[in-house]
Amino acid sequence: MTATLRQGAGRAGDADRRTSAGRPRPAPRAQRRVAAGMTAPFLVLFAVFFVGPLIYSLVLSLKAGGTGAFAGLLNYHAVIGNAQYWGGVQRMAYFGVIQVTIMIGLALVLALYLDSTYCVGRKFFALVYFLPYAVPGVIAAIMWAFLLEPDLDGALKVPHLLGLASGPLNPLGFRFALYAIMLIVTWEFAGYNMTILLTSLTNVPRQIVEAARIDGCSELGIAWRIKFPLIRRTVMFTVILSIIGTLQLFNEPVLLNDIASIGSSYTPNQIIYNTAFSFGNEPLAAAQSVLLAAITIGATVAFYGIIRRRADPFGATRRLR
Amino acid sequence: MTSAGTQAGRGAVRRAVRVRRVKVSVGTALLVLAAAYVLAPLYWLLIASTKNSSQLFSTSTFLPPAHLSLGANASSLFSYGGGDFKFWIINSAVYATVTAALATGVSTLTGYSLAKYRFRMRRPVFGLVVGSLMVPTTALVVPLFMLESYLHLNNSYQGVILPLAVYPFGAYFMSIYALDAVPDTLMDAARIDGAGELKIFWKVARPVLMPGMATLFLLAFIGTWNNYFLPLVLLGDPTRFPLTVGLATWASELHLAGTSQPLYPEVILGSLVSVLPLLILFPFLQKYVARGLTFGAIAGE
Repeated sequence: MTATLRQGAGRAGDADRRTSAGRPRPAPRAQRRVAAGMTAPFLVLFAVFFVGPLIYSLVLSLKAGGTGAFAGLLNYHAVIGNAQYWGGVQRMAYFGVIQVTIMIGLALVLALYLDSTYCVGRKFFALVYFLPYAVPGVIAAIMWAFLLEPDLDGALKVPHLLGLASGPLNPLGFRFALYAIMLIVTWEFAGYNMTILLTSLTNVPRQIVEAARIDGCSELGIAWRIKFPLIRRTVMFTVILSIIGTLQLFNEPVLLNDIASIGSSYTPNQIIYNTAFSFGNEPLAAAQSVLLAAITIGATVAFYGIIRRRADPFGATRRLR
Repeated sequence: MTSAGTQAGRGAVRRAVRVRRVKVSVGTALLVLAAAYVLAPLYWLLIASTKNSSQLFSTSTFLPPAHLSLGANASSLFSYGGGDFKFWIINSAVYATVTAALATGVSTLTGYSLAKYRFRMRRPVFGLVVGSLMVPTTALVVPLFMLESYLHLNNSYQGVILPLAVYPFGAYFMSIYALDAVPDTLMDAARIDGAGELKIFWKVARPVLMPGMATLFLLAFIGTWNNYFLPLVLLGDPTRFPLTVGLATWASELHLAGTSQPLYPEVILGSLVSVLPLLILFPFLQKYVARGLTFGAIAGE
């Protein structure tokens, strides 16, 4: 018993080495009891509102809609043959490749610039760019929908009035809606990601930067050759968060559909919502969401696998595992 | 010779200063452009909230109207549909405050015990916490709806608060925060002085965990205040809606045929009301929020 616990502690990493030297082990029963008591509220809530529903989702996805009889993989078969569902997934893949690249690129450039010696008003700009984090996605979508709505926005009528276009531009037409959502999501999260990167940049050792500067390295060189490699892991972390966010897109397309009728099956999450709550086929919706979760985890793991050798975005977890 | 040399040197310095000044100006101009992208919709919201329906379609987009209609907009915002809007404000505040308090308390206890005690469940629990960070919430929404229907929790405050109070990120955050914030030596010293474990938590750990708890509270508060999908699914009664669901419902009626009077001013002013408190407080909260966002990414570097 004692041996296993010690072994476990030894494997837990750097942070624990210090404690294992300073504190007798294993923990007395009183401590273990307190620890169990402190973890209990979380575990109860977690079991009822997270693990339970997750397992139920898996069970539900194996039942037939309506009758509730066991149906095996029939729902999954239906999802796999559903062109609308895959259309949504494909749309999000396209969306993600373009939008995540632009957004993380923008966030990285802004963070590196704010961290450079050329920057004036760093605090002010850092605050302004971070502001959209405090704005709900729904409200962001409402604002942008009104701004892009040709009826409301004078600016969009200018090409028409000058005789350059046959009618007012409609950026919310079905064709452009995807790009309108990119504009909105970038507005919402570029500053959020920039904040993550900027905080990571403040952890770059100043001596390294100073040494490069003394050696005659330009600011651009310092940003690209020194700072960027040192925060690469954080950049990968923001990319992974963005991939997960993209595949779950819901608020913005729903609101754009409410205001400008872009279609109610634009993203996988909208399709899941409609399946469950418009058509009342909860088992099919469960299968769709389980598959979406699998796709999300798959995309994350695939991306993680590609960059694994170079960087470990979840490095922090190693300290406790 | 010497004077020519210094002159050339001075010229080079002057040139370098000039180049630097140009670079700073160009860079600042681009930063201002990016700031305009961020601020334009918020500025528009402020201006548009002072216009009535006809002014919205007739006056210049980014300029205030000649006659402000803010007062009329406000009274119709609060009276439309039986005055639902005031419930939405109260509901959003209740959901966000209670969820954040509960999530912070539960996460702090869990994170602290994961960081500071060796117990048998420690590694499985930590594995669960980290693993659950990967699970997209979509997979939970449909079964949560069914679970709450079964337990008669939908359309209740608890029904929204309890699922959102399950905050694995919070437990993860706190476990790493407590690891460094609470010194083991201090805990041991307290033990030698005869303090019990609960007393150690309350007197030794809690004070040093406070900044982390503030961060968690804010993250959970903003997350709940901004949430739309979960309350949309779980709530059907308009008097239980938070601001996001309520305003989205109004926005969805804008283009319905047969709506006697589209709610443009109400949706716009309502949106402003729902973002203004957080935006005003944000300069003071920024530091705490930023720390929470970056935690997962930088703690290991």
